[in-house]
Amino acid sequence: MAKITLSTDWLDVCSGCHMSLLDMDELLIEILEHVQLLSSPITDLKHPPESGVDVGILTGAVSNDHQEEVARRMRDRCGILISMGDCAVFGGICTMRNFFDTEEVLSYAYTETDSTAPEQEVPRSPEIAKLYPTVKSVRDIVKVDYHLPGCPPPAHVIAYVLTELVAGREPKLTEDLLTYD
Amino acid sequence: MPNVRVTINGVEAAVPANMTVLEAAQAAGIEIPTLCDHPAIEPIGACRICLVEIEKQRTLQPACTFPVFEGMVAHTHSEKAVEARRFILDLLFSERNHFCMFCQMSESCTLQDLAYEYELDHWKFHRPMPKFSVDASREYFVMDHNRCILCRRCIRICDELVGNGTLGLKNRGADSMVTADMDVPFGESSCISCGSCLQVCPTGALADRASAYMGATAEIDRIKTRCMACPVGCGTELIVRENRVIRVEGDWDAEPNHGLLCEIGRFVPLHEHRDRVREPMVRSNGEWNAVEMDEALAMVNEKLREAGDDVATIVSGFVTVEEGTLLAQSPGAKYLMHPIASEQSSATQADLDVADLFVVVNTDLTDDFQVAGMFIKRGVRQRGARLLLISDAAEGDAPEGDAADGMSEWAMRRLGTAEANEAVAIAGGAQMPVFVAGPEGAKLATELAGQVANAKALIFTPGGNSRGLYEAGFQQAFEGQDAAVYHVVAGEISRIAPELLEQLKQAGTVIVTTSYRQPWDEVADLILPMPTTFEKAGTTVNADGMVCEVVAGVETRAIPFNEMFNSLAALAQ
Ligand code: SF4
Ligand code: SF4
Ligand code: SF4
Ligand code: SF4
Ligand code: FES
Repeated sequence: MAKITLSTDWLDVCSGCHMSLLDMDELLIEILEHVQLLSSPITDLKHPPESGVDVGILTGAVSNDHQEEVARRMRDRCGILISMGDCAVFGGICTMRNFFDTEEVLSYAYTETDSTAPEQEVPRSPEIAKLYPTVKSVRDIVKVDYHLPGCPPPAHVIAYVLTELVAGREPKLTEDLLTYD
Repeated sequence: MPNVRVTINGVEAAVPANMTVLEAAQAAGIEIPTLCDHPAIEPIGACRICLVEIEKQRTLQPACTFPVFEGMVAHTHSEKAVEARRFILDLLFSERNHFCMFCQMSESCTLQDLAYEYELDHWKFHRPMPKFSVDASREYFVMDHNRCILCRRCIRICDELVGNGTLGLKNRGADSMVTADMDVPFGESSCISCGSCLQVCPTGALADRASAYMGATAEIDRIKTRCMACPVGCGTELIVRENRVIRVEGDWDAEPNHGLLCEIGRFVPLHEHRDRVREPMVRSNGEWNAVEMDEALAMVNEKLREAGDDVATIVSGFVTVEEGTLLAQSPGAKYLMHPIASEQSSATQADLDVADLFVVVNTDLTDDFQVAGMFIKRGVRQRGARLLLISDAAEGDAPEGDAADGMSEWAMRRLGTAEANEAVAIAGGAQMPVFVAGPEGAKLATELAGQVANAKALIFTPGGNSRGLYEAGFQQAFEGQDAAVYHVVAGEISRIAPELLEQLKQAGTVIVTTSYRQPWDEVADLILPMPTTFEKAGTTVNADGMVCEVVAGVETRAIPFNEMFNSLAALAQ
């Protein structure tokens, strides 16, 4: 049986969801017998190949134009898109800033916290991604096939979803597999 | 009530015709989810989560308000009903901010439970995420409007059961907000901090400061016991995790309170800042030192032996019948710490829910016996009963501190004690007048009630178990009687008459058995430890003469009272 191909990427995240992926421990080895990981933020290859992958996983919310680009690229290049973790599914903790004006948020983060150096200014380089006024979920930007909430989703739930997909079945998150926090 | 035949999910049943579909389903053992409905308050059909499919009805119907009818065939979990519930949950989640991962109530929230049950793995609708305020102006619990689903349980319980009518709604549609009085912060409102609204809130909108994040539903135990702080004798439920009481709730099944509590029963014990007494302590040269139990009991025995019969044992209402029965065997005089009304009740608290006229004499029921005050307030608000207040101050505005001050807002009239006879004339025209008083008003209340044919009197003696202790042999109130040795058995009492402390300050030897050090360390020579109500088992008798069980919710290191007392008795032999 040919392996199914997988790419993952992260957007506005703490990276906890990818930690949870690694938390599958020895199950990871088993899954990798059926799955070929082609790119991820923690491997050398960061971007899904142009030729496409069977399954794409996105973690994190969409907070800026760069992240939107990453999300769209993943959608274009994958067959099945999984939005993984509360930030990707709902916007998550990142949406806390939705209650404030973007300039207020930037100036607080770069000039007002106790840990910012004096004279520090908000970086304005055109090369830096531009913050959107509000944080969005992945689903607000592109079509998502499966939602896998949790902050982070437990490793065994990620394993369940991948195992079902490998077996050609529809993963269904029943009450015992769902978690919102 | 005649029965009608109904079929719910294929189960046939005969149910009373005045039932709702929800009640009929529950009687048949079928669960229908609810959010705005609560068994203790009137249904309003606001949230629609209970929608069910009923044959021959054009649309889905809310089970909590829809009455059953002869031949009704209902399907509570048909595809259509379940789909509708998912849709409603989606709408509820889209309206405000429900990021459960930072909500205090996660895993203890009915809305969240339903999201799990109906397997919501994402939100379908765009969420405008409006920014609502958080009101933290109240001492014991916080209101986060961002989590509120506008089910109005809080508003309804405050109005229907507490009779306080503090809460209401302002604005319209999605902008609606629960508000207090004329839109003031909760902490500055007429709220009496009874916490009933907190107890019924199905989400994290109302969150208890003490127990937030302290334990989710699966991690806690619930133990039913009693409040011993006053003779109303409310049934409580201790919420316990890892041998700690994290919250107190009202027991819905208990007489007389049916779920209600006052600030004193619900919050005060968990916000106690006094030092706990864990071991005996002796004062020497103005310094307090811990001593071994054996040593302390030997000292107590020595003092008691020297004094012979010249001992006064003074118990608070926090002493159980069993503890009181043991203490009654000790030599010397027996006193209750509280004033005792010499008149007897001819009414019970249940009568307050049917009376059409209340005459409250020289007692402020917003301060003492508060839950009984709620029965009266709701009678006035809900049933149109009338309230007369008699107090020392004459008619007109009740001055602050006057007994009539607290309840005057609910009263039709206030009378000075000199004009009390007018109450007899008014009561003569009532169907069921009840005269209510504490010790200060007991004599007058009983006299007045005696002049009205069908009147009853409800007399409260302060102290949770005063009635049980009276029967155990403590039949005199302590009013400064002389003794060589005083033994005060205080429990956790915090409202202590300043005169008592003054008298004890002048006294010879004072031994205090208490859960907390303050204020007794100002007057005692020797302090013995005592378990709190949360930690002990026994019985108590409330104002109605009802024997109530006190059940230990947590284990304590403090030595059980009977063990300590028996060791002392053994020494004396
Ligand atoms: S109130 Fe309930 S549903 Fe809303 S965030 Fe809190 S736990 Fe989640
Ligand atoms: S605490 Fe009691 S009085 Fe205050 S708003 Fe809630 S129910 Fe009403
Ligand atoms: S505060 Fe709680 S009980 Fe009151 S309306 Fe909001 S969700 Fe319902
Ligand atoms: S009314 Fe009395 S018994 Fe009831 S909770 Fe308040 S203090 Fe306790
Ligand atoms: S529970 Fe029936 S409408 Fe809310």
